[in-house]
Amino acid sequence: MNWNFTLGDYQLRLPNSEQDVEALMGLLQQESLCAHVPCAPLTEVHRVVDELRRMAMRFEAREAAFWLAEKDSQLLGRIGLQRINWMQRSAQLQWELTPALGLPAMQQVLPALLRFAFDELNLHRLEMRLVSTSAQDALLQGLGFHFEGVLPAQLEFMGKDVDLALWSLLKTDLN
Amino acid sequence: MKFTPELPFAGGRLRPLQHEDADILFQLYSKPEIPGQKPPAAIESMTKLVDYSVQMAATQRGMMWLVEVDGQVQGIVSAFDWQPSWLRLMLRVDGLPSLALAQRQTALQTAMDFLGSKYHIFNFAYQWIAGQNPEIKTMLHQLGFSLRATLRDGWRVGEGFADVEQYHLVLDKQKPKAGRLGEFDNPAQDLNKSVGGRV
Repeated sequence: MNWNFTLGDYQLRLPNSEQDVEALMGLLQQESLCAHVPCAPLTEVHRVVDELRRMAMRFEAREAAFWLAEKDSQLLGRIGLQRINWMQRSAQLQWELTPALGLPAMQQVLPALLRFAFDELNLHRLEMRLVSTSAQDALLQGLGFHFEGVLPAQLEFMGKDVDLALWSLLKTDLN
Repeated sequence: MKFTPELPFAGGRLRPLQHEDADILFQLYSKPEIPGQKPPAAIESMTKLVDYSVQMAATQRGMMWLVEVDGQVQGIVSAFDWQPSWLRLMLRVDGLPSLALAQRQTALQTAMDFLGSKYHIFNFAYQWIAGQNPEIKTMLHQLGFSLRATLRDGWRVGEGFADVEQYHLVLDKQKPKAGRLGEFDNPAQDLNKSVGGRV
Protein backbone atom coordinates (compact mmCIF):
# COMPACT_ATOMS: atom_id res chain seq x y z
CA MET A 1 0.00 0.00 0.00
CA ASN A 2 1.47 3.35 -1.04
CA TRP A 3 1.03 5.97 1.67
CA ASN A 4 2.72 8.81 -0.20
CA PHE A 5 0.97 10.87 -2.87
CA THR A 6 1.80 13.52 -5.45
CA LEU A 7 -1.09 15.82 -6.28
CA GLY A 8 -0.13 18.32 -8.94
CA ASP A 9 2.37 20.62 -7.28
CA TYR A 10 1.87 19.11 -3.85
CA GLN A 11 3.24 16.05 -2.13
CA LEU A 12 1.81 14.22 0.87
CA ARG A 13 4.27 11.90 2.56
CA LEU A 14 4.73 10.12 5.84
CA PRO A 15 7.32 11.87 8.03
CA ASN A 16 10.85 10.70 8.57
CA SER A 17 11.79 10.85 12.22
CA GLU A 18 15.37 11.89 11.61
CA GLN A 19 15.11 14.28 8.72
CA ASP A 20 11.96 16.26 9.45
CA VAL A 21 12.72 17.70 12.89
CA GLU A 22 13.67 21.17 11.75
CA ALA A 23 10.87 21.61 9.23
CA LEU A 24 8.23 20.25 11.59
CA MET A 25 9.44 22.53 14.36
CA GLY A 26 9.12 25.47 11.98
CA LEU A 27 5.48 24.49 11.52
CA LEU A 28 4.40 23.44 15.00
CA GLN A 29 6.04 26.33 16.82
CA GLN A 30 3.53 28.67 15.22
CA GLU A 31 0.85 29.21 17.84
CA SER A 32 -1.73 30.37 15.30
CA LEU A 33 -1.50 27.05 13.40
CA CYS A 34 -2.22 24.96 16.51
CA ALA A 35 -4.84 27.13 18.24
CA HIS A 36 -7.83 25.27 16.79
CA VAL A 37 -6.59 21.82 17.95
CA PRO A 38 -5.99 23.26 20.62
CA CYS A 39 -2.42 22.59 21.64
CA ALA A 40 0.60 24.51 22.80
CA PRO A 41 3.21 25.31 20.16
CA LEU A 42 6.29 23.06 20.14
CA THR A 43 9.25 25.33 20.64
CA GLU A 44 11.91 22.87 21.79
CA VAL A 45 13.74 20.39 19.60
CA HIS A 46 13.36 17.45 21.98
CA ARG A 47 9.58 17.89 22.00
CA VAL A 48 9.46 17.84 18.20
CA VAL A 49 11.61 14.70 18.21
CA ASP A 50 9.16 13.16 20.70
CA GLU A 51 6.25 14.17 18.49
CA LEU A 52 7.85 12.51 15.47
CA ARG A 53 8.47 9.34 17.50
CA ARG A 54 4.86 9.34 18.71
CA MET A 55 3.64 9.72 15.14
CA ALA A 56 5.74 6.74 14.09
CA MET A 57 4.61 4.60 17.03
CA ARG A 58 0.94 5.41 16.48
CA PHE A 59 1.33 4.57 12.79
CA GLU A 60 2.91 1.22 13.63
CA ALA A 61 0.06 0.52 16.06
CA ARG A 62 -2.39 1.21 13.20
CA GLU A 63 -4.17 3.87 15.25
CA ALA A 64 -3.07 6.98 13.35
CA ALA A 65 -1.28 8.26 10.28
CA PHE A 66 0.20 11.72 9.80
CA TRP A 67 1.31 13.17 6.50
CA LEU A 68 3.52 16.15 5.78
CA ALA A 69 2.17 18.32 2.96
CA GLU A 70 4.88 19.91 0.85
CA LYS A 71 5.31 22.00 -2.25
CA ASP A 72 8.77 22.36 -3.80
CA SER A 73 10.15 20.52 -0.74
CA GLN A 74 8.76 23.26 1.49
CA LEU A 75 6.65 22.04 4.40
CA LEU A 76 3.22 23.68 4.25
CA GLY A 77 1.24 21.65 6.74
CA ARG A 78 0.61 18.45 8.61
CA ILE A 79 -2.54 16.40 8.11
CA GLY A 80 -3.37 13.44 10.32
CA LEU A 81 -5.88 10.66 10.64
CA GLN A 82 -6.09 9.58 14.25
CA ARG A 83 -8.26 7.61 16.63
CA ILE A 84 -8.89 5.22 13.77
CA ASN A 85 -11.71 2.93 14.82
CA TRP A 86 -11.55 -0.08 12.52
CA MET A 87 -14.75 -1.55 13.97
CA GLN A 88 -16.82 1.57 13.44
CA ARG A 89 -14.85 2.46 10.28
CA SER A 90 -14.29 6.01 11.48
CA ALA A 91 -11.37 8.30 12.23
CA GLN A 92 -10.64 11.84 13.32
CA LEU A 93 -8.82 14.31 11.13
CA GLN A 94 -6.39 16.84 12.52
CA TRP A 95 -4.38 19.43 10.69
CA GLU A 96 -2.00 22.32 11.15
CA LEU A 97 -1.88 24.30 7.91
CA THR A 98 0.07 27.34 6.84
CA PRO A 99 -1.84 29.99 4.88
CA ALA A 100 -0.38 28.48 1.70
CA LEU A 101 -2.66 25.48 2.29
CA GLY A 102 -5.86 27.46 2.08
CA LEU A 103 -9.05 26.28 0.44
CA PRO A 104 -7.80 26.18 -3.19
CA ALA A 105 -4.74 24.14 -2.22
CA MET A 106 -6.68 21.86 0.11
CA GLN A 107 -9.19 21.23 -2.67
CA GLN A 108 -6.28 19.72 -4.57
CA VAL A 109 -4.71 17.88 -1.67
CA LEU A 110 -7.57 16.54 0.42
CA PRO A 111 -9.50 14.50 -2.19
CA ALA A 112 -6.56 12.12 -2.60
CA LEU A 113 -6.35 11.64 1.14
CA LEU A 114 -10.10 11.08 1.33
CA ARG A 115 -10.02 8.51 -1.47
CA PHE A 116 -7.22 6.74 0.33
CA ALA A 117 -9.10 6.77 3.65
CA PHE A 118 -12.40 5.63 2.17
CA ASP A 119 -11.20 3.22 -0.53
CA GLU A 120 -7.89 1.83 0.70
CA LEU A 121 -8.45 1.98 4.47
CA ASN A 122 -12.18 1.19 4.07
CA LEU A 123 -13.24 3.96 6.45
CA HIS A 124 -16.75 5.38 6.24
CA ARG A 125 -16.75 8.45 8.48
CA LEU A 126 -14.10 11.12 9.01
CA GLU A 127 -14.69 13.76 11.60
CA MET A 128 -12.95 16.84 12.90
CA ARG A 129 -13.24 18.12 16.45
CA LEU A 130 -11.80 21.57 16.82
CA VAL A 131 -12.15 25.00 18.33
CA SER A 132 -14.47 26.85 16.03
CA THR A 133 -12.98 29.82 14.18
CA SER A 134 -14.35 31.61 11.14
CA ALA A 135 -11.31 30.54 9.08
CA GLN A 136 -11.55 26.85 10.03
CA ASP A 137 -15.34 26.84 9.62
CA ALA A 138 -15.03 28.33 6.13
CA LEU A 139 -12.33 25.83 5.17
CA LEU A 140 -14.34 22.83 6.38
CA GLN A 141 -17.50 24.07 4.70
CA GLY A 142 -15.60 24.69 1.45
CA LEU A 143 -14.25 21.15 1.56
CA GLY A 144 -17.75 19.70 1.92
CA PHE A 145 -17.79 18.85 5.62
CA HIS A 146 -21.09 18.87 7.51
CA PHE A 147 -21.44 20.65 10.84
CA GLU A 148 -22.88 18.29 13.47
CA GLY A 149 -22.86 20.32 16.69
CA VAL A 150 -20.66 21.49 19.53
CA LEU A 151 -19.45 19.13 22.27
CA PRO A 152 -19.07 21.00 25.56
CA ALA A 153 -16.03 21.07 27.84
CA GLN A 154 -14.10 18.39 26.00
CA LEU A 155 -10.76 19.35 27.46
CA GLU A 156 -9.02 21.96 29.56
CA PHE A 157 -6.51 24.22 27.87
CA MET A 158 -4.73 27.19 29.45
CA GLY A 159 -6.97 26.86 32.48
CA LYS A 160 -10.24 27.00 30.59
CA ASP A 161 -12.76 24.39 29.49
CA VAL A 162 -12.82 24.10 25.73
CA ASP A 163 -15.86 23.29 23.61
CA LEU A 164 -15.13 21.50 20.35
CA ALA A 165 -17.15 21.87 17.16
CA LEU A 166 -17.86 18.62 15.38
CA TRP A 167 -17.74 18.31 11.60
CA SER A 168 -17.90 15.19 9.49
CA LEU A 169 -17.49 13.87 6.00
CA LEU A 170 -18.89 10.49 4.99
CA LYS A 171 -17.85 8.28 2.13
CA THR A 172 -21.39 8.62 0.80
CA ASP A 173 -21.06 12.45 0.79
CA LEU A 174 -18.59 12.09 -2.07
CA ASN A 175 -20.99 10.19 -4.33
CA MET B 1 -9.27 -4.02 46.56
CA LYS B 2 -12.75 -2.70 46.07
CA PHE B 3 -12.96 0.00 43.45
CA THR B 4 -16.65 -0.08 42.58
CA PRO B 5 -18.97 0.58 45.50
CA GLU B 6 -22.49 -0.65 46.06
CA LEU B 7 -24.93 2.24 45.72
CA PRO B 8 -28.46 1.87 47.09
CA PHE B 9 -31.47 3.67 45.64
CA ALA B 10 -35.18 3.52 46.41
CA GLY B 11 -36.35 0.04 45.40
CA GLY B 12 -32.96 -1.27 44.38
CA ARG B 13 -29.24 -0.87 44.23
CA LEU B 14 -26.26 -0.66 41.94
CA ARG B 15 -23.64 -3.27 42.71
CA PRO B 16 -20.29 -4.30 41.22
CA LEU B 17 -20.04 -7.22 38.81
CA GLN B 18 -18.82 -10.55 40.15
CA HIS B 19 -17.79 -13.77 38.48
CA GLU B 20 -20.97 -15.41 39.79
CA ASP B 21 -22.93 -12.99 37.58
CA ALA B 22 -21.75 -14.60 34.34
CA ASP B 23 -25.13 -16.22 33.70
CA ILE B 24 -27.19 -13.08 34.17
CA LEU B 25 -24.68 -11.05 32.15
CA PHE B 26 -24.99 -13.56 29.34
CA GLN B 27 -28.78 -13.18 29.48
CA LEU B 28 -28.51 -9.40 29.46
CA TYR B 29 -26.20 -9.19 26.49
CA SER B 30 -28.11 -11.90 24.63
CA LYS B 31 -30.89 -9.35 24.17
CA PRO B 32 -28.86 -6.31 23.14
CA GLU B 33 -30.89 -3.13 23.05
CA ILE B 34 -28.31 -1.24 21.02
CA PRO B 35 -28.77 -1.72 17.27
CA GLY B 36 -26.10 -3.78 15.63
CA GLN B 37 -24.66 -5.20 18.82
CA LYS B 38 -24.07 -8.91 18.50
CA PRO B 39 -25.00 -11.24 21.35
CA PRO B 40 -22.02 -12.92 23.04
CA ALA B 41 -20.98 -16.24 21.53
CA ALA B 42 -20.06 -17.92 24.80
CA ILE B 43 -20.66 -17.44 28.50
CA GLU B 44 -16.88 -17.46 29.10
CA SER B 45 -16.66 -14.00 27.58
CA MET B 46 -18.79 -12.72 30.46
CA THR B 47 -16.11 -13.77 32.95
CA LYS B 48 -13.66 -11.67 30.99
CA LEU B 49 -16.13 -8.80 31.11
CA VAL B 50 -16.19 -8.99 34.91
CA ASP B 51 -12.37 -8.90 35.00
CA TYR B 52 -12.43 -6.00 32.58
CA SER B 53 -14.89 -4.07 34.76
CA VAL B 54 -12.50 -4.39 37.73
CA GLN B 55 -9.50 -3.33 35.65
CA MET B 56 -11.37 -0.34 34.26
CA ALA B 57 -12.37 0.89 37.69
CA ALA B 58 -8.89 0.33 39.14
CA THR B 59 -7.31 2.43 36.41
CA GLN B 60 -10.05 5.09 36.25
CA ARG B 61 -11.01 4.22 32.70
CA GLY B 62 -14.56 3.22 33.53
CA MET B 63 -16.92 1.67 36.02
CA MET B 64 -19.73 -0.85 35.69
CA TRP B 65 -22.62 -1.69 37.97
CA LEU B 66 -25.41 -4.22 37.80
CA VAL B 67 -28.82 -2.65 38.33
CA GLU B 68 -30.84 -4.64 40.85
CA VAL B 69 -34.53 -3.89 41.35
CA ASP B 70 -36.38 -5.80 44.05
CA GLY B 71 -33.44 -8.20 44.25
CA GLN B 72 -33.49 -9.01 40.53
CA VAL B 73 -30.79 -7.93 38.09
CA GLN B 74 -32.43 -5.78 35.44
CA GLY B 75 -29.54 -4.09 33.67
CA ILE B 76 -26.08 -2.62 33.67
CA VAL B 77 -24.91 0.96 34.07
CA SER B 78 -21.55 1.56 32.42
CA ALA B 79 -19.28 4.57 32.64
CA PHE B 80 -16.55 4.57 30.02
CA ASP B 81 -14.34 6.88 27.97
CA TRP B 82 -13.42 8.36 31.33
CA GLN B 83 -11.07 11.32 31.04
CA PRO B 84 -9.86 11.96 34.61
CA SER B 85 -7.89 15.05 33.60
CA TRP B 86 -10.92 16.66 32.07
CA LEU B 87 -13.47 15.24 34.52
CA ARG B 88 -15.76 13.85 31.89
CA LEU B 89 -17.05 10.44 30.88
CA MET B 90 -19.66 8.65 28.80
CA LEU B 91 -22.57 6.72 30.30
CA ARG B 92 -24.61 3.85 28.98
CA VAL B 93 -27.38 1.63 30.31
CA ASP B 94 -28.10 -1.85 28.97
CA GLY B 95 -31.35 -3.14 30.33
CA LEU B 96 -33.56 -6.17 30.10
CA PRO B 97 -36.96 -5.42 28.52
CA SER B 98 -38.37 -5.50 32.06
CA LEU B 99 -36.26 -2.54 33.22
CA ALA B 100 -38.72 0.34 33.50
CA LEU B 101 -37.68 3.75 32.30
CA ALA B 102 -38.14 5.26 35.77
CA GLN B 103 -35.80 2.64 37.25
CA ARG B 104 -33.29 3.24 34.48
CA GLN B 105 -33.40 6.95 35.24
CA THR B 106 -32.92 6.40 38.97
CA ALA B 107 -30.02 4.03 38.37
CA LEU B 108 -28.35 6.53 36.08
CA GLN B 109 -28.87 9.38 38.53
CA THR B 110 -27.41 7.29 41.35
CA ALA B 111 -24.29 6.54 39.33
CA MET B 112 -23.90 10.19 38.33
CA ASP B 113 -24.31 11.38 41.91
CA PHE B 114 -21.53 9.04 43.00
CA LEU B 115 -19.17 9.86 40.13
CA GLY B 116 -19.76 13.57 40.62
CA SER B 117 -19.16 13.46 44.36
CA LYS B 118 -16.29 11.05 44.50
CA TYR B 119 -14.41 11.77 41.29
CA HIS B 120 -15.55 15.34 40.58
CA ILE B 121 -16.96 14.38 37.19
CA PHE B 122 -18.88 17.39 35.92
CA ASN B 123 -19.43 16.53 32.26
CA PHE B 124 -21.57 13.45 31.59
CA ALA B 125 -22.27 12.30 28.05
CA TYR B 126 -24.74 9.74 26.72
CA GLN B 127 -25.05 8.49 23.17
CA TRP B 128 -28.48 7.53 21.88
CA ILE B 129 -28.27 5.42 18.76
CA ALA B 130 -31.00 5.64 16.14
CA GLY B 131 -33.17 2.58 16.56
CA GLN B 132 -33.04 2.57 20.35
CA ASN B 133 -36.15 3.25 22.38
CA PRO B 134 -36.92 6.96 21.79
CA GLU B 135 -38.22 7.26 25.36
CA ILE B 136 -34.59 7.12 26.47
CA LYS B 137 -34.22 10.61 25.00
CA THR B 138 -37.12 11.85 27.14
CA MET B 139 -35.43 10.33 30.17
CA LEU B 140 -32.18 12.11 29.34
CA HIS B 141 -33.98 15.45 29.12
CA GLN B 142 -35.59 14.76 32.49
CA LEU B 143 -32.14 14.17 33.95
CA GLY B 144 -30.99 17.53 32.59
CA PHE B 145 -29.12 16.34 29.50
CA SER B 146 -29.36 18.26 26.25
CA LEU B 147 -28.61 17.24 22.68
CA ARG B 148 -25.28 18.70 21.57
CA ALA B 149 -24.48 16.91 18.33
CA THR B 150 -25.80 14.33 15.91
CA LEU B 151 -23.04 12.12 14.55
CA ARG B 152 -24.07 11.03 11.09
CA ASP B 153 -23.48 7.31 10.58
CA GLY B 154 -21.60 7.31 13.87
CA TRP B 155 -22.51 3.73 14.78
CA ARG B 156 -22.00 0.64 12.69
CA VAL B 157 -24.98 -1.66 12.32
CA GLY B 158 -23.98 -4.76 10.38
CA GLU B 159 -23.15 -3.56 6.88
CA GLY B 160 -24.91 -0.23 7.44
CA PHE B 161 -24.69 2.66 9.88
CA ALA B 162 -26.94 4.51 12.31
CA ASP B 163 -26.86 8.14 13.43
CA VAL B 164 -25.81 8.84 17.00
CA GLU B 165 -27.28 11.64 19.08
CA GLN B 166 -24.81 12.81 21.70
CA TYR B 167 -26.28 14.32 24.85
CA HIS B 168 -24.38 16.11 27.60
CA LEU B 169 -25.07 17.17 31.14
CA VAL B 170 -22.50 19.72 32.28
CA LEU B 171 -22.77 20.48 35.98
CA ASP B 172 -22.05 23.97 37.22
CA LYS B 173 -19.69 23.05 40.02
CA GLN B 174 -16.28 24.08 41.18
CA LYS B 175 -13.45 21.85 40.06
CA PRO B 176 -11.03 20.42 42.61
CA LYS B 177 -7.73 22.22 43.02
CA ALA B 178 -4.55 20.38 42.20
CA GLY B 179 -2.57 19.57 45.30
CA ARG B 180 -0.34 17.06 47.02
CA LEU B 181 -1.80 13.69 47.96
CA GLY B 182 -4.28 14.22 50.79
CA GLU B 183 -3.79 17.99 50.83
CA PHE B 184 -7.41 18.81 50.12
CA ASP B 185 -8.93 15.71 51.70
CA ASN B 186 -9.97 14.54 48.23
CA PRO B 187 -12.50 11.73 48.73
CA ALA B 188 -11.21 9.98 45.61
CA GLN B 189 -8.04 9.25 47.56
CA ASP B 190 -9.95 7.44 50.26
CA LEU B 191 -12.19 4.65 49.05
CA ASN B 192 -13.67 4.17 52.49
CA LYS B 193 -14.70 7.77 52.83
CA SER B 194 -18.43 8.33 52.77
CA VAL B 195 -19.72 10.56 50.00
CA GLY B 196 -23.24 11.90 50.27
CA GLY B 197 -24.07 9.30 52.90
CA ARG B 198 -23.07 6.44 50.64
CA VAL B 199 -20.02 4.23 50.73
